[in-house]
Amino acid sequence: MEKQILEEQKIDNQYDVVVIGAGNGGLTAAAKLAKEGAKVLLLEQHNLPGGFATSFVRGRFEFEASLHELADYGPKSDKGGIRKLFEDQFHLDAEFIRIPEAYKLILTDPKYKMNITLPFGLEKYIDAIEKEVPGSRESITKFFELAKEIRAAFRYIASTHGKPDQGVLMKEYTNFLKTAAYSAKEVEDALGIPEDARKILNAYWCYLGLPMSRINFTLFASMVLVYITKGAYIPRYRSHGYTAAFDTKIREYGGDIFYNTKTEKILVKNRQVVGIETSKGDKITTSHIICNASPTLAYNQLIFPKSEVPEFAYKEVNARIQGLTGFCVFLGLDATVEELGLREYSYFIMDDMDTEAVYESWKKLEAPRGQATVVINNAIPDCSPPGTTMMYITTLFHPDAWKEVKPQDYVEVKNKIAEKLIDHFEEATGAPVKDHIEEIEIATPETYARYTGTYKGIIYGYEPESWDSLVPRLMSMGKDQYIIGLRFAGGFGRRAHGYSSSMSDGYTVALLTLQDIKKEVNQIYE
Amino acid sequence: MSDKDFEKVDITIRSNTKDIFAFTKLVPNRIKRIKKASNESITDDPINDLAKKLHPKLQYLQIDQIIEETKSTRTYRLVPDAKRGTEQLAYFRAGQYLSLKVEINEEWITRPYSISSSPRESLEGYYEITIKKEEDEGFLTPFIWKSWKVGTKIISSGPEGFLYYEPLRDKKQILGLAGGSGITPFRSLAKSIAAGDIDAKLTLLYGCSDEDDIIFYEELKALEKAHPEKLKVVIVLSCEEITLKGCEAGFITKELIEKYADVANNSVFICGPQIMYDFIKKQLKRFNLPPKQIRREAFGEIKNISEFSGFPNDAVDKTFTIKAHIGGMVKEIPAKSTQSVLVALERARLAPPSKCRSGECGFCRTLLIDGNVYVSPISDWRREADKKFNYIHACSSYPITDLELIIPRTI
Ligand SMILES: Cc1cc2nc3c(=O)[nH]c(=O)nc-3n(C[C@H](O)[C@H](O)[C@H](O)COP(=O)(O)OP(=O)(O)OC[C@H]3O[C@@H](n4cnc5c(N)ncnc54)[C@H](O)[C@@H]3O)c2cc1C
Ligand code: FES
Repeated sequence: MEKQILEEQKIDNQYDVVVIGAGNGGLTAAAKLAKEGAKVLLLEQHNLPGGFATSFVRGRFEFEASLHELADYGPKSDKGGIRKLFEDQFHLDAEFIRIPEAYKLILTDPKYKMNITLPFGLEKYIDAIEKEVPGSRESITKFFELAKEIRAAFRYIASTHGKPDQGVLMKEYTNFLKTAAYSAKEVEDALGIPEDARKILNAYWCYLGLPMSRINFTLFASMVLVYITKGAYIPRYRSHGYTAAFDTKIREYGGDIFYNTKTEKILVKNRQVVGIETSKGDKITTSHIICNASPTLAYNQLIFPKSEVPEFAYKEVNARIQGLTGFCVFLGLDATVEELGLREYSYFIMDDMDTEAVYESWKKLEAPRGQATVVINNAIPDCSPPGTTMMYITTLFHPDAWKEVKPQDYVEVKNKIAEKLIDHFEEATGAPVKDHIEEIEIATPETYARYTGTYKGIIYGYEPESWDSLVPRLMSMGKDQYIIGLRFAGGFGRRAHGYSSSMSDGYTVALLTLQDIKKEVNQIYE
Repeated sequence: MSDKDFEKVDITIRSNTKDIFAFTKLVPNRIKRIKKASNESITDDPINDLAKKLHPKLQYLQIDQIIEETKSTRTYRLVPDAKRGTEQLAYFRAGQYLSLKVEINEEWITRPYSISSSPRESLEGYYEITIKKEEDEGFLTPFIWKSWKVGTKIISSGPEGFLYYEPLRDKKQILGLAGGSGITPFRSLAKSIAAGDIDAKLTLLYGCSDEDDIIFYEELKALEKAHPEKLKVVIVLSCEEITLKGCEAGFITKELIEKYADVANNSVFICGPQIMYDFIKKQLKRFNLPPKQIRREAFGEIKNISEFSGFPNDAVDKTFTIKAHIGGMVKEIPAKSTQSVLVALERARLAPPSKCRSGECGFCRTLLIDGNVYVSPISDWRREADKKFNYIHACSSYPITDLELIIPRTI
């Protein structure tokens, strides 16, 4: 009997901390905890680390599953937070390559036609916008000065564990205070940034996935600043290149990792974590859990018994706005980038920059009005065999657009959308993609659900509108733990979604958990 | 770096006081919004529901009918076993396979079988798999012949594999080259084309060693007759004596291929044993087709690994010891150098995970902590970083020293 085999293979043990999920947040948290000597167990339901941060092989190609560009890595001479984490903190055996230019923005609506390539580096970037839209320099410069002030304020708030001194904020970071409650659109209006310049400046909006009228300014500005000043990077061997390095490192630090092991229950007693149970029948005792799965999943499905879920936790989940899910067309082409006439790594292609309209188009199963596409060979020429190109087209969807799709119609539905995206790309760039498709894989919301189990296939965390953006989340730190011993890390965490945010969040949450453990030890000896 | 790396700019959104006030209200407003929200638990998730319908982890099935196809081939019709939790069969793409999970002498093993029925038939409630008993008998096949009856309970994976027609990639004209039991995915494809569910044309060259070895002869010919504009079926017999009309004698050669297909305008799909693939590869070379026009099914575990160049001579016929960590268990087990690590793990009753057994799917991904393996050069589909960090696919790796491994538990 298989049951008996599983019985023999059960893990029953006690751990200082159990990390649920080996995504970006979970891996970073587990690595830090293991490094600091905590006894850590990392559990992952899939048979690979990474969550979305992974790769897959089809024929001659190893495709990146999700990353477009890693923010906050930075060059050796000006390391960003993530590079410091990888190199100085964990000495991770993973190589990263700098992307040559910021992005190419193509607007295809004949009324707004625009086709411009933007460089990295603040001065060059502002120069490029000024050249395209004369007279925009002053307001764009102000945008970035504000962004710098905001990042400094974030650093300050984080250093106070969410309890900043109001006096310091008022004195040093006034503009941060004054913009914290507003959308990007409201602040850009106030700065008087010309309409055409905004189209260029707002191109990164799709990485956060909510329209300019709703995305919180501080978060948006901070993201754009980090990309433009630090540049963007991708891992040499796709995301699996560094998530596999994390796996190795965690084991080296003495952590345990089990794949194919889904956490089914978070056991709670008197509002305190006491352990977990898994799909393989493991029962593990612990009083600390870092959950890389979303609060939506944890509170609605994992906490056991249900009576231990505080009413406020359900309310919090229901009050927050679920983010978007994705759609991605992975293409292995049997032509070189030169033959295809593709020079850039990153393409933002939209009808026009009406972010509200594009966002609305994602609520229907129709041709999406925007895409973000990357051509990996333009950053890593030998990422695929000689004579080939590897690229992927990404767009977003509101999950409910997909809820009526029947299994027997699924392939036709996804192929139709994929074809429209390819057509749009061909129309924008002139590259004859369709003639050269050697491998094609299409990921839909259903695919993201299949591989990670994320609620409704959502790939972004809760939408960071101003009321629920970084600032109020950080300032609620300490008051947002409804079950003692249970903390969340990752894209659904405090710093909102994105690779670097999820990893920074995992690191912070590991530090908080280490503090908790230390406090307990001190209590025992007191 | 100094924290003051910015210049103060003048900015007012509404008014100085209103802007500051809005900030001070952020946290209280968030709490207010949360308090106002519903306290209902979320129970629905249509996207995960769809994912589970398309890709169930396991499907519980039952044999409904057994059809003797030839003297050595049987078709098993499988229906869902609602009692064990499978209400509905997963829909699939013609050409995909099921990985069956079977217990035999207390060992849990898997074997992949292409689905020989059409996707449309899965909506009607059944899959068919068609199994050929080879001369060398094998391990599972004799067991199947002996013990599978109508009513036997079967466990399978969801549909897997990539040998399917993809309109965004493939030519509308498919040239199918099948050998032996490799006909199974093409039956599914032919049925789908005939039913109008796939908008493509198929020319099928089907190599058999004997007249009474031809699987689905009547059925394929009937489909061809009903849809001459979409389907063409040519049986290629390698035996001496041929009585059947309309067949070709010999093997699937370049000349034969040319006779039936304008190769440059075809996507070539190949399914059959490894030797047939090696032979066909040579024949196709002369057409100079780009790789995108040639697609082949995985051919399972390599049986003659010691004949591969690079396989260490001194390891042949040796049995090594594997120290296997699986879940909370550690066990030392014997492993022959000429059998895959996967087989050793199965024989030791560890029930390791696997699906394709061809190196492609990665489900048997295993961490090599110590020792050395020989990886089949024609079945190495590992991710680059897995090679770097010593992950192996157990089904395509062969022990050439003692090993220590960390294996994930069964799916
Ligand atoms: C994608 C795909 C699709 C396929 N589709 C079909 C199909 O439609 N129809 C069809 O007939 N075949 C199909 N096959 C082939 C099929 O999967 C089997 O390989 C075939 O049926 C032979 O299985 P077997 O166990 O009898 O023989 P083998 O697999 O040849 O059995 C021998 C194997 O068993 C191992 N072994 C021996 N003793 C033991 C033991 N005690 N415990 C565990 N292992 C042991 C040996 O090491 C050896 O590897 C397909 C293969 C692939 C890869
Ligand atoms: S079982 Fe598919 S790679 Fe080994």
